[in-house]
Amino acid sequence: MVYQCPVCKKISSAGLDLARHMIGRGDKEHRDWISSRGFKYSELLALQFKSFGGEGYKALAEVLEKETRVEG
Amino acid sequence: MKHELKFTVNGHPYELHIRPKTLLVQVLRDHLGLTGTKRGCSCSSCAACTVLLNGMAVKSCSVLALQAEGAEVLTVEGLARGPELNPLQQAFLDHGAFQCGFCTPGMLMAATALLRETPKPNKDQIREGIDANICRCTGYNSIIRAVTAVANGEYQEAAK
Amino acid sequence: MSTYSVIGKRVRRVDGPDKVSGRAKYTFDLVLPEMLYGKILRSPHPHARILSIDTSKAEKLIGVKAVVTGKDTLGRKNGIWRRFPELCDEEILCRTKVRYIGDPVAAVAAVDEDTAEEALDLIDVEYEPLPAVFDPLEAIKEDAPQIHEGVELNINVTRHIEWGDVDEAFKKCDYVREDQFKCSSQAHMAMETHCAVASFGLDGKLTVWTSTQSSYYVQRLLADMVGLREGDIRVIKPATGGGFGGKFELDSPQFCASVLSMKVCKPVKIVLQREEEFTASKRRTPMYCYSRLGAKKDGTLLAKEIRVITEGGAYTGMGATCLYLTGFFSSFPYRYPSYRYDGYRVYTNTAPTSAMRGFGAPQSTFVSEGQLDMLAADLGIDPVQIRRLNGMVPNHEVPGQATVQSCGLPECLDSIDQHLRQRGKLPPDHGIGIAAYGFMSGGIFNWFDTPYAFSAAIVRVNIDGKVDLFTGACDIGQGSDTTLSMICAEELGVALEDIRIHAADTGICPVDLGAWGSRQTLMTGNAVKMAAADAKRQLLEFAAAKLGANIVYDLDIKDRHVHLVDRPEKGFSYYDIVKQAIRGKDGEAIIGRGHYTPHRKGMVSPAYSFGVQAVEVAVDRETGRYKLLNVTTAHESGTVINPVGIEGQLEGAIMMAGGYGFCEDQPMDDGRILNPSIAEYKLIRSLDMPETKILEIDTYEPEGPFGAKEAGEGLTNPTAAALGNAIHKAVGVRINSLPITPEKVFRALQDQKQ
Repeated sequence: MVYQCPVCKKISSAGLDLARHMIGRGDKEHRDWISSRGFKYSELLALQFKSFGGEGYKALAEVLEKETRVEG
Repeated sequence: MKHELKFTVNGHPYELHIRPKTLLVQVLRDHLGLTGTKRGCSCSSCAACTVLLNGMAVKSCSVLALQAEGAEVLTVEGLARGPELNPLQQAFLDHGAFQCGFCTPGMLMAATALLRETPKPNKDQIREGIDANICRCTGYNSIIRAVTAVANGEYQEAAK
Repeated sequence: MSTYSVIGKRVRRVDGPDKVSGRAKYTFDLVLPEMLYGKILRSPHPHARILSIDTSKAEKLIGVKAVVTGKDTLGRKNGIWRRFPELCDEEILCRTKVRYIGDPVAAVAAVDEDTAEEALDLIDVEYEPLPAVFDPLEAIKEDAPQIHEGVELNINVTRHIEWGDVDEAFKKCDYVREDQFKCSSQAHMAMETHCAVASFGLDGKLTVWTSTQSSYYVQRLLADMVGLREGDIRVIKPATGGGFGGKFELDSPQFCASVLSMKVCKPVKIVLQREEEFTASKRRTPMYCYSRLGAKKDGTLLAKEIRVITEGGAYTGMGATCLYLTGFFSSFPYRYPSYRYDGYRVYTNTAPTSAMRGFGAPQSTFVSEGQLDMLAADLGIDPVQIRRLNGMVPNHEVPGQATVQSCGLPECLDSIDQHLRQRGKLPPDHGIGIAAYGFMSGGIFNWFDTPYAFSAAIVRVNIDGKVDLFTGACDIGQGSDTTLSMICAEELGVALEDIRIHAADTGICPVDLGAWGSRQTLMTGNAVKMAAADAKRQLLEFAAAKLGANIVYDLDIKDRHVHLVDRPEKGFSYYDIVKQAIRGKDGEAIIGRGHYTPHRKGMVSPAYSFGVQAVEVAVDRETGRYKLLNVTTAHESGTVINPVGIEGQLEGAIMMAGGYGFCEDQPMDDGRILNPSIAEYKLIRSLDMPETKILEIDTYEPEGPFGAKEAGEGLTNPTAAALGNAIHKAVGVRINSLPITPEKVFRALQDQKQ
């Protein structure tokens, strides 16, 4: 089971990794997708620097696990 | 309102009429064209403008020119004799004791004053002697080596 | 065994006699007939709309010759990343909005400085202050004030570097550490402040004398901004009082003096006051860093992930390059099988941050070398050993980024290891910390979008054998005029005193990108070597006929002696052949040409130098104060062209980089720099300067002239990191934010007690 980035098609083996990828890229397309699912990109980004980035990501990862799963 | 100023710079007598608030560094640079003396700040904290006033190292940006009335001033331009560099200047060349060279005139004058007062300074005395002078390029140690070499008599004074 | 006649010798600098006699003329010293003096009015607000500017009172002041505002400009936006128009964001004279305390809004030219200063007070600017934001973590919020129109979340640039499968690799690690760091700002503090004399003539041509690291960039950028053709602008760099990364973009004195001079057709001189230099010239980039590092039990590094958010300040400048290099050099000097970097540069209402000696790498080295030491300690591995285990080796490929050819890191580690053993057991509360580093020899990526070769040189051999060397390279104090003259003399086979260098004058010199990224020894050096070889070949063509050699390649010139390579005794004087060759060429002087643009060397740099530094400190546990005792550096930079120059670069870097770790900082309050004077800005003075020792490691770089590479900026990278590691060795506390002040050490020691 793998997860595919809905924007640039990068494959990750875990939802959390994909969340980290999407926040990390941070260009408009990735940001828009994240926002479209009700997250505040800036808050997630700030979390990366303020904490070691668990909770904020996990919420995004849950969504990604549901929506981006592909057979791999 | 201009005041008369009579003093000697690098052995030459000068008579000028200046405004009382004129700084010594301004007289040297702007009136006499001796631009070897530099300015790195305007609050006497970098010592790039160091010259000798009656043999004492002073920051020429913190001295009114009129305070030099009757005095002998030595600037970096007064160190060499014609084409002959003095021992300190030669030592600076050999030890790479300068890079951008902007602090060098002040550094040379501070070291000159130090060697006049303490002809055989140890390392700590040299460090103290140039502590007011900021150099952003060299890290000071090459300057200390150059001054040490002169103090050790490695450079003979050019024939007088 | 060196067989060089000039290279590697302890020579006196070619600019030395002028500099030690006070005769060297800097832009700061320049006076022209009819010259006016300019001053710049700057914003007192960190963020405000300009509603109106009334200059009428200033214009009426006796002695004022011109007042200009943004309305007198073409309204173009300046930026050194010319290939990316969205990153050209600085008007220099602001038209509608100011974005930091110090942003220029008007400039005055008057008969003297006092009058110009007085006129500034008579300019009425009506501002509408806007909400401002100073911290990058605040500036990325949706509700933060937008600093540049259309830039969402104030994110100016992002950079991403990735290779290997980082997430998978972390799963395989036996041990993973996560840490946060904060790196501070730093002022370049060149002794000569930014300054320029601009002179526009009735012939429509502009000449600018300026204190710069790149006369070509200034020429090209000015052309864009004032609407002249490049060829109508001549930029001349006189002696320059230091740069350190702060002087290769178009700056406010250059631009404002030009605009004023074009208005009055007289020379205008602008010299920044030291306070302006601190508050309104660019500075080192502060950043927040998060780093995750994973290794096997034996210390083999498997994965690294680093994220950085930087305080960009109001404009881009060279910030995009810094952001990339922070990411690239966070992987240095190790072989990571997997690596990920996400970097964000964020606009804030603070003085712009940009290039400064080390170019983003001192920050990344502080982070990565600190964390590596922590990881090594956790795993019970010796700091030298973990670096040896993972360090780069010759011919290493950084996936998708760069090719490292020569690399003396293993030997540097051996050398430092020996130094540590020699020091033996230290007194209590003393510690030695080490840090390894690498740096580039100039940049490859052409963000400036120049069609020219990156470096070029012309060598002219005159009838008496004297050689004129023309190059656009800029000696800002680092000694490139000497190094390049040495390369020219060696290749041509003459003495150093035969060379006269003419540099950094766009009117007579071929284009060179200038002094940044430690590029000139390698890049300009290659161009000079090629030009000298070209001139030499032309001379040898005449010699070949005379000596009856089979082919011109059998001949060489060394120590002014033209000879057969195999039979050096057979030959004649260089002076004779010069005369004959010139006669034989219709009386034209011999002209050799050379150029260099890096190619097929990845996207970062043609070569990398390496080193390891050991910093020894003594800490006072009662107060947290500490003293830098000794800095020993094992360093390799390929063939050493100018040994005196390398010593100077190394010791000078320790003063600057030690200062970055030890005391230099620019604290701010609502965007205002609180210590804008030399009295308040603490830096290392002669009494604080540690003893320094160099352990030179011999390497040869195939891409460099005579095997040489970078020796200027890389040395700025390790000191803060090694200092942090030394404090930890000495008293067991770890400070992850710069600068490492006694107060931080004291507080950490208090916490340690509890």
